[in-house]
Amino acid sequence: MIPDLDRRDRLSLTWRDPPGWWGFLTTVDHKRIAARYIVTALLLLFLAGLLALDMRWQLSWAENDRMGPQLYNESFSLHGSTMLFLVSVPAMEAMALWLVPLMLGQRNMAFPRLGAFSYWLYLGGVLTLWVAHALDVTPDLGWFEYPPLSGPNYAPGHRADIWAQMITFTEVAALCASVNVAATILKMRPPGMTLARMPVFLWAMLVASLMTILSMPAIMLVTSMLIADRLVSTHFFAPAANGDVLLFQHLFWFFGHPEVYIIFIPATGFVSSIVETFARRRLFGHHVLVLAILAIGCLAFGLWVHHMFAVGLPRLGNDFYTAASMAIAVPAGLQIFCWIATMATGRTWLATPMLWVLGFVATFVLGGLSGVMTASAALDLQLTDSYFVVAHFHYVLVGGAMFPLFGAFCYWYPKATGRMMSERWGRVAFALIVGGFNLGFAPMHLLGLMGMPRRVYTYPAGMGWEGLNQIATLGSAIAVAGGLVFVANALLSYWRGAPAGADPWGASTLEWAGESPSPPWNLAYTPVVDSLTPLWDSPVLRVMDGVAIERREVIVTSVVDAAPLYRQKSAAPSIWPVVAALAVTAMFLGSIFTPWAIAAGALPIAAALTGWFWPQRGRATTGPLRVRS
Amino acid sequence: MAIGRGGATTAVLAALLLAACGREARDIGPSLGETPPRGGSDPRIPYYQDNVYQVAQGGRYFGWYGCVACHVEGAVGVRDLGDGRWQHGGGFDQVYAAIARRHGALNYAARIPAEPLWQLTAYVRDLPQHTPEKRRRLAIDQVGEPHGRSWSGPVR
Ligand code: HEC
Ligand code: HEM
Ligand SMILES: [Cu+2]
Repeated sequence: MIPDLDRRDRLSLTWRDPPGWWGFLTTVDHKRIAARYIVTALLLLFLAGLLALDMRWQLSWAENDRMGPQLYNESFSLHGSTMLFLVSVPAMEAMALWLVPLMLGQRNMAFPRLGAFSYWLYLGGVLTLWVAHALDVTPDLGWFEYPPLSGPNYAPGHRADIWAQMITFTEVAALCASVNVAATILKMRPPGMTLARMPVFLWAMLVASLMTILSMPAIMLVTSMLIADRLVSTHFFAPAANGDVLLFQHLFWFFGHPEVYIIFIPATGFVSSIVETFARRRLFGHHVLVLAILAIGCLAFGLWVHHMFAVGLPRLGNDFYTAASMAIAVPAGLQIFCWIATMATGRTWLATPMLWVLGFVATFVLGGLSGVMTASAALDLQLTDSYFVVAHFHYVLVGGAMFPLFGAFCYWYPKATGRMMSERWGRVAFALIVGGFNLGFAPMHLLGLMGMPRRVYTYPAGMGWEGLNQIATLGSAIAVAGGLVFVANALLSYWRGAPAGADPWGASTLEWAGESPSPPWNLAYTPVVDSLTPLWDSPVLRVMDGVAIERREVIVTSVVDAAPLYRQKSAAPSIWPVVAALAVTAMFLGSIFTPWAIAAGALPIAAALTGWFWPQRGRATTGPLRVRS
Repeated sequence: MAIGRGGATTAVLAALLLAACGREARDIGPSLGETPPRGGSDPRIPYYQDNVYQVAQGGRYFGWYGCVACHVEGAVGVRDLGDGRWQHGGGFDQVYAAIARRHGALNYAARIPAEPLWQLTAYVRDLPQHTPEKRRRLAIDQVGEPHGRSWSGPVR
């Protein structure tokens, strides 16, 4: 339904941000916040990618001493920590923040200010790690820092603290984002979008958010225990005082394994959306896909021990976790078959987003196969800590998460900017990245089988590793060059791309119903849904009215049937999320140096939260409780 | 005004940078300390004294060479190294000399190579800043390391 101009004007007035810097700091527009998340994450992807290229260059020749062991340790620690905690997880959350309200036809997230707070805190984590790096206090113990190596005795100084505190930042940010996404999906679906009519994308984001909520506390606990050991001399990880170093590994991986699925499940959501659109038919086996996602979400919590096969746990434990790890290949395989069936039976059109899906299927399947190999405890004892593992996790992380992310970027770019990206340069970037990646990382399997360990800064001549290492470096360089083409294409298209219109791909879900780029208020009316693919099934989208337009208001519906329940005030722009994030940042950073920072830092946080949640009395026009916004 | 503030920020950042760089460095390579310090202002001193890694290495050697046998927690008089009072002077070269030359038959000058002696000196001079519970916590992590004559084998 096309809104008249008057309605548009009134909506714009209600939902606009204050102009200039104040608007930048106070905005609660989920699209602006998500865009910041994505730009920050892409920038870090670029920086950490350069770091990786530097490492690859170092490994191209035997006995290369361009980098020393310490610099190499810092490089892979910074690369790995950045890629996992500051790029992959936040990028997936950002896609949810951006797309979930659009796909639900809502005006904003359930908790708009929490979304803003989440970004500022994430930025705090980014700055903690990278400013510390600029000051030469780079974490140097890998992306998981096991005690006793990371304990007070063997990791003096603040490198390990920076790592642990960076995690606290990103995990609080991730928790805020996840609570927000889960509440929005469960309580703010448009009338008629019952659970059975919910697109796979939303299922994926819901499950990933719930997994985040269940797994993140483990790692916040474990890094806090590590900091306590280092700062106030507790004995959590000191075996000689009845502590337990394995406790760290269990708690870390109880989060760490679900984490890879927190990254991968949203990617399956992207893939499902793209496949449906470009195969021009409903997903084959919608229910199978949803059940597979739920199954992966549950199974993922029962596998963590496969990261610890080599520490000497009881045989039965190893056997159990071998079986569980192999079992997860079943739902993952079902998903792949459903997508292939959809593509094979539809009128599939190979635009760039679809190419990325093909690249994803091919690469991810290879990574899954090497995963099944390492899941076998017996074989893993040989493969662990070798370059085979480096090959495996890059195949699943890059193939299984980055490629779908790039596809999603191309797919939703027109919606975000109102412009099309160049197809030709998109294909060039695709060929360079996927080709370069496979050229670069396939030889690493062989290197691992030939005995090359991971995390070594160089190796002796005469091991026969040089040739394959040079191919690996060449491939990585090609992939990074492809990344530059990708970014250049995105930047140029922002100004030069062809205008996109509301629905350039002829897609089926609600985010394509409104104009591109989406205005701050998203859709002019609340859509009413009666099928899985509303834009395909009804010639005109049915809508309803009744949600206020002269004040910020959203509609809340029931969890299962999405029956309209009530209208809810939606929070206006506010400075308090930034202030609260600054207060939390001060407390986190201070607690690296003194335990008193926790007590002292709680006061500014309490003050900021009081300001944030300051009550307003409905009809009051004066006094401290008067209505302000 | 704006320039003034920018300048101040730059100055603070530069100061932070100077303070940070070196303190956390972890050099593994040809060492500086191959000969004893030449006087209390030997330019190599800050490299050891102001670096957390070198000090921590000294802490480990403190156990390895059995210094704890006499300089235990709660030792009194000259044997208390954490009280900040130095019988034979607190300068780097003086403490170095006390370790190397004042232990009679233990003859550390001959038994400990120069680099560990530098690190031990840096550690001992850092001790007054360590709290007893911190020292105890580090010792707990070190029980698995060879501890002079009192070592009881690896942790199980
Ligand atoms: C057998 C017991 C014993 C052992 C083992 C021992 N010390 Fe000593 N240490 C002493 C005594 C006794 C003195 C006082 C010597 C003097 O005043 O001439 C002393 C003095 C010192 C001093 C000078 C203290 C001051 O106030 O000036 C330092 C520093 C020192 N020791 C460090 C070490 C280090 C480092 C080790 C291990 C490498 C070590 N000691 C091992 C007994 C020991
Ligand atoms: C072109 C892109 C990339 C290249 C060339 C690359 C290269 C490397 C190299 C050389 C290492 C060190 C291996 C070792 O010596 O142990 C490494 C480690 C790692 N990489 Fe990448 N990488 C790339 C992209 C990514 C991405 C996108 C992710 C995650 C999403 C990622 C995650 C990791 C992790 C977790 C580690 C382990 C760090 C550790 O050992 O603690 N990498 N990578
Ligand atoms: Cu795992």
